[in-house]
Amino acid sequence: MTALRVPKEQTARLLAALLEQHQVVAPVEEDSQVTFGRLGSPEEAVLDYRNAQVSPKGLLFPQAETLLTYSLAGESPEVQEAPQAQDGQVVFGIRPCDARSFVLLDRVFDGNGWHDRCYLSRRRNTTVVALACPKPGVACFCASVGGGPFSTEGSDVLLTDLGQEYLIEVVTDKGAALAEAWSEYGEADEGSLRRRAELQAGAEAALAGRVEIEGIDRWLKGMWDDVFWERLHEKCLGCGVCTYLCPTCHCFDIVDEGSDREGQRLRLWDSCMFPLFTRQASGHNPRPTGKERWRQRLMHKFCYSVDSYGEVGCVGCGRCVVNCPVNLDLRHVLNEICSDRTQQGT
Amino acid sequence: MTDVSQAIRDTARSLLADGVVDIVIGFEAGTLPLRSSPCFVRDAADTDRLVWNMSCENNLARYLPWIEGKVGIVAKGCDARSIVGHLKEGRLERERVHVIGVPCQGILDRRSIEHRLGGKEILEAQERETELLVRGEGFEVALSKEEHLHASCRACRSRNPVIYDTLVGDPVAEGEGADEYVDVREFEAKPPADRWAYFLAESSRCIRCYACRNACPLCYCRICFTDVTQPQWLGRTANPADTLLFHIVRALHVAGRCVDCGACDRACPLGVDVRKLTRKMEKDVEELFHYKAGMSPDEPLPLATYSLDDPGDFIQ
Amino acid sequence: MSTDNPYLPLLARIDRISVETEHPSIKTFDLTFLRKEDEERFHYLPGQFAELSVFGKGEAPFGIASSPSQPGVLQFTVSKAGLLTSALHVMERGQILGVRGPLGSPFPQDEIQGRDLVIISGGFGFTTPRSLINHILHRDNRQRFGELTVVYGARTPGMLLYKSELSQWRQRDDLRLHLTVDTAEDGWEGRVGFVPDVVREVSPSPQNAYALVCGPPAMIRFTLPVLEELAFPPERILLSLEMKMKCGIGMCGRCNIGNKYVCRDGPTFSLAELNQLPPEH
Repeated sequence: MTALRVPKEQTARLLAALLEQHQVVAPVEEDSQVTFGRLGSPEEAVLDYRNAQVSPKGLLFPQAETLLTYSLAGESPEVQEAPQAQDGQVVFGIRPCDARSFVLLDRVFDGNGWHDRCYLSRRRNTTVVALACPKPGVACFCASVGGGPFSTEGSDVLLTDLGQEYLIEVVTDKGAALAEAWSEYGEADEGSLRRRAELQAGAEAALAGRVEIEGIDRWLKGMWDDVFWERLHEKCLGCGVCTYLCPTCHCFDIVDEGSDREGQRLRLWDSCMFPLFTRQASGHNPRPTGKERWRQRLMHKFCYSVDSYGEVGCVGCGRCVVNCPVNLDLRHVLNEICSDRTQQGT
Repeated sequence: MTDVSQAIRDTARSLLADGVVDIVIGFEAGTLPLRSSPCFVRDAADTDRLVWNMSCENNLARYLPWIEGKVGIVAKGCDARSIVGHLKEGRLERERVHVIGVPCQGILDRRSIEHRLGGKEILEAQERETELLVRGEGFEVALSKEEHLHASCRACRSRNPVIYDTLVGDPVAEGEGADEYVDVREFEAKPPADRWAYFLAESSRCIRCYACRNACPLCYCRICFTDVTQPQWLGRTANPADTLLFHIVRALHVAGRCVDCGACDRACPLGVDVRKLTRKMEKDVEELFHYKAGMSPDEPLPLATYSLDDPGDFIQ
Repeated sequence: MSTDNPYLPLLARIDRISVETEHPSIKTFDLTFLRKEDEERFHYLPGQFAELSVFGKGEAPFGIASSPSQPGVLQFTVSKAGLLTSALHVMERGQILGVRGPLGSPFPQDEIQGRDLVIISGGFGFTTPRSLINHILHRDNRQRFGELTVVYGARTPGMLLYKSELSQWRQRDDLRLHLTVDTAEDGWEGRVGFVPDVVREVSPSPQNAYALVCGPPAMIRFTLPVLEELAFPPERILLSLEMKMKCGIGMCGRCNIGNKYVCRDGPTFSLAELNQLPPEH
């Protein structure tokens, strides 16, 4: 494997070079929290961070996206398709879990015979430079759900912080084009590659066995009427924290908003945890209580996703775990389903 | 000094064993440092799960309107006032609730602690008498609990539950200080442009996840005004104007009822200052009506009580 | 879809509005596409649906009530229930709507050709079955299908849809129409009884036959055991399901039953398929 290297003190130059050609989104500090924001200058980037509170899915799938605009002023409504995002962006410094989430979202927005142009135009125009995780967070479990702290899935370039320098690994052709600008410091030497391997081994060891999901889709299939669901949801507030912060949750609503003369049709984030999500105009709701909604959430991410795509729809970023207002811990739920049942031989 | 956790367990056990209640809502240990989690205990043998500490940050009264049967509930000072609120608003019958009142020293503000540690991850936290020992990778530090109390606890004047069937733990000294609303007065004194900029900045951060609303014991409407479509009261995007409207209307809806438990603020994943408007409402209600929410089941609700000979000369 | 943006509706004009029932308020809208090329490209089959837009109010899914053998007009029967349908119900001839579609899986033409068909429907669920019936009855299609038995019921005679069409069908000898109501009204001389009971009385043969059941959940729940008694196998019982939908293309995550989306994999499912899915609708 060839990898480039850049001394860390040159990071600002590296970013400045990027900024000349591209819009760059990177972790930045806003009101003492790290979030993904447009980089105005290289100094704003925060690269020694654990992860941003909100996932970067909003960069491809914004919370509010205009699908079309309409004008009702004339005799007949005039409907205009909203312009597709044309500007390229480089998403710099996201974690491998978040980069991998883009691959999972691709399947939803571009996988089933329909092509979501809004998402796809952003996706095509986005280059991902991910930052590996030598020190996974306490609530992270990417390795348990098919990812890993040094995974390159979904990224075009993978950076590793080796202390004095960054290792730069090119993953795709798109990434190669970008990394050309950083080649002046040459290739990484054996020592750096060894260090990188050590860091990866250490991170993977730290993540080993955190969550058990072996056979989860099978367990879940047999659990539809299990009493487990009765208790699971009791403390859940039914808010949207887990779904909105989750990098792979993609449920949305389509609404028209505007005056009686003009307006826009919007695609907005929505959540299967909200009570009215599946409520029909007749008042009938197939998921009337938190019990059905929690079951749906778990089934969707850990059973139906496996049916449809061969793997679970979770990247193990841990945001739902850390931010749930009532500490309803998904990791424990998954472990309870898998390990307990494995032990009981059911 | 009473071991409050043990006292809660013992109380819960006997309540369940004697059939006084069918369920006890309390707290159990969390899965991360500085967390605890609401728990629902139905079996007397299961009561060892129950704990009490300064991470018991949820207001458990938010579960009460939705639970049937006879309920035991662990209530700190503010939670107890919320329960009084539920009684006055007809959400509950007094006979079916057994309040396990817990005099409260205050709840820790996780965000303040994280900020103090510069964002370093906490691996372990231990409560001592006045200190919190926090350990992480490459650091171990003793923090003053007092310095990291949640803002609502620092302003709290009702640490001892005003209503209870069983009191566990020793009564604590009530919060003191000349002005309970010093935070509101400081903000009120700012020029309008500064205040407006602050509100816009806060609402720009809000993602309309409704954690604040759903954590609140008072927000028990089956369909919230945010979800009504006929008419559509406010836009559903996270546009700051619509978001600010959500927070304003919610503050108005809880005015005269909010006890400033702070559960809304602690529930927010993004640190939006959700209490800013509700604190103002609280202060205004106290100054205009000499009323504090939830202190007594006998006091009439100031914004929901009327008599036919109320003055109406302001109606032109 | 005529555009490659799946969210962009085509524009259509309301040419005619007929009142099907007063209480509850149900109207049928006849639409014509503004652009001829949209009409030419809008190929649908009975069982499919479209998302209708009232710009400014939103979109909602409606089964297509016309049949492909009636070119030039697209019909939707709309019951006034929520925000969008209330807005639709005050619209007038000449006003413009958006149409996104056709969406969803049609009644499986390949499977039901050459078979006898038993169409069992109730109340407002009769829209897409009516599309199928008109499609089958068309002279170009009739010989491709076997015997056609229709059991259709409503709560009261006033609530029956497509009344003039029903009268015409009664005169035909290439279908057997059994109408019923739960409660009779003055002037009703027909059957009184619940749809599942009428199905039992009619006792259609399952030999080489498909049953299509389309109606309110309660009607379906009581009809399925009757079909089981009559020995219709689950593979030959088709159901058209209703769920709250938004995108109509299997992306917004709202209408799923198990790993199937009602908008994309349905709304038509066989009972055999449904039995593999969680009981959630």
